Amino acid sequence: MKSKLKHFRILSLLLAMCLMAGLLSGCQTKAEPENKSITITDMTGREITLEEPATRVVALSAADCEILYAVGAGDTLVGRGEYCDYPAEVLNVPSVQSGYETNIEQIIELKPQVLLMSTMAQTEEQVKALEDAGIKVVVSDAQNIEGVYQSITMIGDLMGKSEEAAKVVEGMKNTFKEVSGNESLQGKTVYFEVSPLEYGLWTAGKNTFMDEIAQMMGLKNCFDDVEGWGEISEEQVLERNPDIIVTISMYFGEGPTPVEEIMGRAGWENVTAVKDSKILNLQNNELSRPAPRLADGAKMLYDFASGK
Amino acid sequence: MKNRTNDSFSPLTLTLFALVTAATLIFCVCLGSVRIPLGDTVTVLWRALRGQELPDSSAVPIILNVRLPRVLCVMLTGASLALCGASMQGLLKNSLADGSTLGVSTGASLGAALAIAFGITLPQIPFAGTMVMAILFAFLSLMVILTLAYRLDYSLSTNTIILLGVIFSMFVSSILSLVITFASDKVKNIVFWTMGSLSGSSYANALVLLAVLMICSLVLLGLSRELNAFAIGEDNARHVGVNVRRTKLVVLITVSVLIGVCVSIGGSIGFVGLVTPHMVRLITGPNHKRLLPACMFGGATFLMLCDLAARMLLSPLELPIGVVTSLIGAVVFVFIYARARQGREI
Repeated sequence: MKSKLKHFRILSLLLAMCLMAGLLSGCQTKAEPENKSITITDMTGREITLEEPATRVVALSAADCEILYAVGAGDTLVGRGEYCDYPAEVLNVPSVQSGYETNIEQIIELKPQVLLMSTMAQTEEQVKALEDAGIKVVVSDAQNIEGVYQSITMIGDLMGKSEEAAKVVEGMKNTFKEVSGNESLQGKTVYFEVSPLEYGLWTAGKNTFMDEIAQMMGLKNCFDDVEGWGEISEEQVLERNPDIIVTISMYFGEGPTPVEEIMGRAGWENVTAVKDSKILNLQNNELSRPAPRLADGAKMLYDFASGK
Repeated sequence: MKNRTNDSFSPLTLTLFALVTAATLIFCVCLGSVRIPLGDTVTVLWRALRGQELPDSSAVPIILNVRLPRVLCVMLTGASLALCGASMQGLLKNSLADGSTLGVSTGASLGAALAIAFGITLPQIPFAGTMVMAILFAFLSLMVILTLAYRLDYSLSTNTIILLGVIFSMFVSSILSLVITFASDKVKNIVFWTMGSLSGSSYANALVLLAVLMICSLVLLGLSRELNAFAIGEDNARHVGVNVRRTKLVVLITVSVLIGVCVSIGGSIGFVGLVTPHMVRLITGPNHKRLLPACMFGGATFLMLCDLAARMLLSPLELPIGVVTSLIGAVVFVFIYARARQGREI
């Protein structure tokens, strides 16, 4: 009964989507000759109007870069933040400093029409200086998966790629639907390791993408009493005895791999995840970036956890 | 005060210090982020010591594999850093001298960061690359600072050395930032590393620390008489027949090795080396024959208690130990310094 209802819901959703897409494309063909101007509201609530879809964009955050490529607007990128590394093509785009080291001059020199950035470290003064230089600043600020959908849609609209964006969002939603509600995972505990023991254990607690995705699958995050990311005590990990460990440590090809390193830790022999070899290494920020690949990360975790 | 026939500690006093330190050690092993009943802790430790079979509970690995090695490492690091601080304060006749104020720890951090960034490792031995680089850079930093200080001001006055130390620290920090900028794919590792952490300490780490501390402390304690002479002044030391050049070099190398090893294992931990000697001096007076051994016990106790606070205060979160030492250390230091100034000019 329930699944039927679900199917019906999906169907009606798809139908509505098709209708909307049809309407939109209809509108576009009509309106195109006169008015291509785009107005969007960014995620801090500022309204931004562009005469036409942006063709020169600088994106400071790695997630925004990924979204641009995902909606098929990667070729408009004329500058990227230094930590943008996915997809591989992005590395050919000139890199600028980002975060606390954001350099306004570097950005202005690239003459973008639009600067995409997140709210993390930029000051209002910086934003104002950029706007004075004629660059539209669009802020994305996804704190949860709903927020990621929002920023994908926003960037899609901005680039005149609304349909592609809708497809990306739809794809993510489908993947998330696919991985949720597996009975066999209910109540299993997962521990997300952000940094290896050598540097002090950091984990992702409540209100992180990892936590949200775990919840979606019915997994319980061992450290959901920690807010955001935090350094936790090794004792607590042993005490909470996770069924699954997900480490996002990177591996540089020397010494033991992150999984081997965890397996070899003294005193961890009796942790269920170690006993069952249930340790997954996600090296490429799949679960930490507010970008479409969250769905890939979720799928990887799901397949791993359910033993596929 | 003059002509004390036997100015080192009596065995009884030493035993007393050792007992206090040992009591702190046990206290710190019994307390932690996960609450384990005292009885269980004692049982586990007792059985492990006697090689008996251990009960099958999560308390066993928590105590034996996490807490005990960590507290041991903290104890040895505290002892090492305090010993370094006391020796340098004596050698340079400078009550502000310490690995962190002179930029030696920062230098060691840079060495270790370079090792991480460029993947410098020694075959077979896992963290040896970081350790060797940390020691090397600690020594280089000391040499640079002291050479500059000699050039600028032969008398090596307090102000010159501290000023140079501060400037050198900043210079090295900026190089560290530079390394982090260029090694962006490993940046996460380096950033976590520079924050310093003694979590994940192993018995192997403790053993390395113990071995190094034993050798270095023998060397430094053996130089107590020379350090006493230095504390009055370098010229004075020369007059009473101390081989100034040799003593200085030996002390500096020993201190670099100790600080390098500590930094490579626990990151740079400020204020322990600076504050402990001042606290201990209140009890023992300035004689290095008493000061140095007392500092080792004092530093060990101080750092173990700081680490306990770091582990317990925000459980299950953990504070960086450097935050605790700096918070407590800075306040204590100002207090002691102000009191000492009131009494007599330093």
